[in-house]
Amino acid sequence: MKAIVHETDERRLIEAAQCDPDRFAEVYEANFARVYAYVARRVPVREEAEDVTAEVFQQALAGLGRFEWQGTPFIAWLLGIAAHLVARRWKRAAGKEEVPVDELELAVNQEHAERQTLFSQLIERLPEDQRRVIEARFFRHRSIREIAQEMGRSEGAIKQLQFRALGTLRDQVGNRHE
Amino acid sequence: MNDFNIEKLNEHVDALLDGLEPPLDADTLRLSELEDVAKELSLLPRPEFRASLWENLASSSEQRAFSNAGSARPSGASSGQHDVVIPPLFSSSSLTFPMRGSHLAVSFGLHVAALALITASGLWVVQNRAVVRSTVAQLIPVDHDYVMPIVPGKTGGGGGGGGDHDKMDASHGTAPRFAAEQLTPPLAVVRNEHPALPAEPTLVGPPDIVLPQSDRMGDPMANILNPPSNGTGSGGGIGSGEGGGIGSGRGPGIGEGYGGGIGGGVYRVGGGVSAPRPIYDPDPEYSEEARKAKFQGIVLLTAVIGPDGRPRDLRVARSLGMGLDQKAIDAVGKWRFKPGMRNEKPVSVLVSIEVSFRLY
Repeated sequence: MKAIVHETDERRLIEAAQCDPDRFAEVYEANFARVYAYVARRVPVREEAEDVTAEVFQQALAGLGRFEWQGTPFIAWLLGIAAHLVARRWKRAAGKEEVPVDELELAVNQEHAERQTLFSQLIERLPEDQRRVIEARFFRHRSIREIAQEMGRSEGAIKQLQFRALGTLRDQVGNRHE
Repeated sequence: MNDFNIEKLNEHVDALLDGLEPPLDADTLRLSELEDVAKELSLLPRPEFRASLWENLASSSEQRAFSNAGSARPSGASSGQHDVVIPPLFSSSSLTFPMRGSHLAVSFGLHVAALALITASGLWVVQNRAVVRSTVAQLIPVDHDYVMPIVPGKTGGGGGGGGDHDKMDASHGTAPRFAAEQLTPPLAVVRNEHPALPAEPTLVGPPDIVLPQSDRMGDPMANILNPPSNGTGSGGGIGSGEGGGIGSGRGPGIGEGYGGGIGGGVYRVGGGVSAPRPIYDPDPEYSEEARKAKFQGIVLLTAVIGPDGRPRDLRVARSLGMGLDQKAIDAVGKWRFKPGMRNEKPVSVLVSIEVSFRLY
């Protein structure tokens, strides 16, 4: 019953976005994490994963008017575009505009997307100094020395904060899955 | 936790962020859980990426003529960045739509062709406007002799007619030659192809008048080309009259009237005959030679305006030269008239037409 309600809501949202592109914001919000997670698993370099994700949504926005609801979730259509773009990026284009994505893959991808979302939320809840180290280290690719200079701390202290932050995240993710 | 593990983990994070595999050693297993976390963190989307991507999508949406694209920003989008992103023409960025060279080339070609067409049409209009302003044409009363293939003194008299009770009106063709006497009347449709005594069809009239000849015999004034018909008249010949001639008269001649020879003919304006009135009169063009020489003047033409309103027998009564005579004939030949009337019936009327060529 819940699945049916979800499908109806999603269908209404897609049809609304086809008529009024303002509503595409909701489509984007609802699907960003899953599309990015799908791409990141196949393009394990963040910058490239972001490029492909951006192109997926650009193509989706451009082709939304042609999308016809045929019972499969909208995310399958988006991931089909993503699969095609990933294949093209690796010069394995099969000559198709969309690559089918099966239900098992959708389920696995959903799990990855949720895990990534969880990590993003947990980073926000880290103690201030640990969060700053993690963001500088993993999002801005700063070295330990640069971070130490930014924060006015020793390099050893920054390494220790990094170690603690990763441990905290590991524990909290583990607790959520138990 | 010890300093060794902290240092080791940092080395592994460095390797991970550099896209390298962490070194395998005895401590790897102990650090593997933290490394997994680090690996996942290294692939998380940057917080600002989600917002900037939406900014790009919103501007793309605006470019698709959808309004209010920016009003429904998702929660992660900030408004501090640029609001409108215009994709560069030759960009290959994944954030913009791809530029297709063939489409650009076709579009460019069409625009160039359209521009050339517009420019050329402007030149054409400018060139022809000068010509239009430079010519004046008017009908004037006939004040000179006009040579027509008409027997002197026979205008409006004589004539002949015929037919063999066909249901169709007589068909168009040429008349046979004139002879002093007639042995065989002209026929558009020969009923007896093997006569006992073959004889040349003729009309009775002055033999010195030479009429145009062709293989197809018929009424020169008829409009119908096919099927061939001798007409609704009687007594042989062609037409609606009677008596072995051609036309609507009586006798072995041609045209209205009776008694042989040529009947009907051309009227002149006056005496119950109204003047033809032009209803379609495109201006003549200037000849290139006369234009270059800035030559001006008047060409006087004579013409017979038929009952159908078409001019024929166009002749130059007063020449101007420089190719303007022919330009005047070409133009007036395209004119159409409301024909002159006599007794409420359209008749052929002889008129003079003055065509003035001037440069302003």
